[in-house]
Amino acid sequence: MSTLLIANGRLIDPASDHDEIADVAIADGIVAAVGSGLDRGHADRIIDAEGCIVTPGLIDPHVHLREPGGEEAETIATGTRAAVAGGFTTVCCMPNTNPAIDDDAMIEFIDKQTERTGSCRVFAVGAATKGRKGIELAEIMLMARAGAVGFSDDGDCIESAGLMLRALTYIKQTGRAFMQHCQEPSLTRGASMHAGTVSIRLGLTGWPRIAEEVIIERDVRLNMAVGCAYHVQHLSSAGSVEIVRRARRDKQPISAEASPHHLLLTHEEVARHDGYWTAAKMNPPLREQSDIKAMLEGIADGTISVLATDHAPHTPERKALDFEAAPFGIVGLETALPLYIKALVEPGVIGWPRLVAMMTIEPARLCGLDRRGFGRLRVGDPGDVTVIDPDVDWKIRAADFAGLSKNTPFDGWAVKGRAFATVVGGEVKHGEMEPLGTAKSATRSRAVPTLRR
Amino acid sequence: MTEDAAPAPWPYRALLGLQDLSAEEIRTILHTARSFAEVSGRSVKKVPALRGKVVANLFFEDSTRTRLSFTLAAQRLSADVIDLTASTSSVNKGESIDDTALNIEAMGVDCLVVRHRAGGAAALVARVVDCAVVNAGDGRHEHPTQGLLDIYTLIEAQMARLPAGPSPARQRLDRFDLTGVRVAIVGDIVSSRVARSNIAGLTKLGAEVLCIGPTTLAPRSLESLGCKVVHDFDAVLSEVDAVNMLRIQFERHGEAGKAAGPPGSKPEPARAEAAASPAFPSIREYVQSYALTPQRAARLRPGAIVMHPGPMNRGIEIADEVADGPRSLIFRQVTNGLAVRMAALYLCTGVAEREEAARLAASRN
Repeated sequence: MSTLLIANGRLIDPASDHDEIADVAIADGIVAAVGSGLDRGHADRIIDAEGCIVTPGLIDPHVHLREPGGEEAETIATGTRAAVAGGFTTVCCMPNTNPAIDDDAMIEFIDKQTERTGSCRVFAVGAATKGRKGIELAEIMLMARAGAVGFSDDGDCIESAGLMLRALTYIKQTGRAFMQHCQEPSLTRGASMHAGTVSIRLGLTGWPRIAEEVIIERDVRLNMAVGCAYHVQHLSSAGSVEIVRRARRDKQPISAEASPHHLLLTHEEVARHDGYWTAAKMNPPLREQSDIKAMLEGIADGTISVLATDHAPHTPERKALDFEAAPFGIVGLETALPLYIKALVEPGVIGWPRLVAMMTIEPARLCGLDRRGFGRLRVGDPGDVTVIDPDVDWKIRAADFAGLSKNTPFDGWAVKGRAFATVVGGEVKHGEMEPLGTAKSATRSRAVPTLRR
Repeated sequence: MTEDAAPAPWPYRALLGLQDLSAEEIRTILHTARSFAEVSGRSVKKVPALRGKVVANLFFEDSTRTRLSFTLAAQRLSADVIDLTASTSSVNKGESIDDTALNIEAMGVDCLVVRHRAGGAAALVARVVDCAVVNAGDGRHEHPTQGLLDIYTLIEAQMARLPAGPSPARQRLDRFDLTGVRVAIVGDIVSSRVARSNIAGLTKLGAEVLCIGPTTLAPRSLESLGCKVVHDFDAVLSEVDAVNMLRIQFERHGEAGKAAGPPGSKPEPARAEAAASPAFPSIREYVQSYALTPQRAARLRPGAIVMHPGPMNRGIEIADEVADGPRSLIFRQVTNGLAVRMAALYLCTGVAEREEAARLAASRN
């Protein structure tokens, strides 16, 4: 029986209402004990987490691992390496692969491939419609039985109101959530960036806020009589915050997620670097300061309860195309934690416990993973732990990413805080082979905690 | 026009747009164009300014007039000219603009003239090559030489209206200062790179710009560019010094417009379902509100001029009688285009040459 002891860290486990200095012992992949002064003698290995924050393993409910079909940009192997490097122990992959993840065999493929090559846990989100075409329902029940943790046509919005109502009604019986990519297609044809002063200047077709808002508004209405768990992916506009806030006040089963870039960058980024900067091309697009302000308020008051990345790898060849032809999206797994610290904790929007909750138990609840003990650290729960060094100053360097693709607008940013160790099922998946704070990018703010055998 | 004091030096090897230039830099190009305009009037229409240099037209989007104008301009500067046209059908997503540009540069080209359907394409080329780059139209973004030749033509016409002899007004115009001049740009503003270059250039030089069209083609959001948006053409007809009429670019109205085509045309069957309404209901309705008809032209101020960047849709945005009428400077624009393009090629190639010399010197040390 192999045991790992994570000692002397500040344990923040919001689901258990813990925030205190404590040890966490993991035996055979399961949390065996939580408390102070646990017996060090019996541990095979000890992570000295003094000065660090110890949390349930971070969960990202929105990533694109590109496998199958887009292996030149990312694979389950490389994407999960990026995940553990960024402190994530669980990621939920979106079904916009080629072919799409739209039946139980595809869900099983993801499971098998993760077992073979993955560094962290991967749960699949199944497509809501066959081939993500928005025409007929996919085999939702079979996928749920095979382990799909949610349903979404992410990358595309379900356009037809009739089909949407049917999807909500059908998905409800699985107990899973429907995750909507909110984009009314007829308002965004040919659009490549936020509709505003920059798009007018550059002569690019704008993607207006209302294209997101009308879908959320419509879906909230459709869902009133259904009551399916409904989740707004990558929320980007001030108006959307307002709609979600109202629906939650009315006790609708609705949740919403933010992505780091929508909290830190505006559409002005597109005009940087000689203009038409494809690293700033994402869907939904970067918007304005007023949207950022509203989203921060929405995070502070609980309207937005989940923090995701929308990790979207693309090859340099595709991102080097002209702005309109280049694909949407940026990678996020290796930068999300420090960027959320910068956007939310440093300015005091929320404190550490809430940040941890929004990256652990909240996404776990969204995906029904809380019922299996994820997002929480009690005896008997999976031994997934993230040890965060909150004080280390370092510089983001895309070239050093563990993931296959490096498309990020945050290259060169000075940030604070990062995952010092990532433990998945009792195994140290990050922080072992490569001592943190060494060579590549991190400048050590203090002695590197020791990892003892 | 008369000679004035030497202009500010030109610092860039690429002319990508007027939005990023200062008023003084714009004046430098116009000033240089004025000195080249004289060449067009000679019997031997050549100067040796770019002798031994190679100018390459790199057109990813169809164009006859602009390419011809750049070709002639380069030839009048004694440069060799090569033409490269990527046929529209081969311009697929996935094509690499920079590879094409690097290939041509590697053959010893000194200046690339780039046209592409995508905004930012010329900037993309300029980033990867060391030679000079002149933007000949990038998507709906900018068409700087067209903007400059429109401004040049406007100034020329304004000067011609002045009484002979020195006056403050003549001095202003001579310095390419357009304070007090009001220009209307009419039509499909939102799709137009010509409009964006005109708005930037004209407002920087002090002119007032009115953008006129239906709300779908001239949205209020254009005002962030420094112009005024007006939807009632008739209300401002008598208040402007120049009218620049634009073509309706159905092909740039996004997927919906592309699928629907001009009002009244048959939608492509495959797209019929997705095809939304075009930006206005019918040509008949558009013509009644925004076409420059003889009746509207008659209400213009005495001396007000009519311009059109071409190609004209006669009978849609402009009537034959107006296009060929006494106010029309449409063909004068074409003539002035040569001088402006000579200036752009000359200035940018000069800077690129100096930069190359500096690199060589640095590598020797």
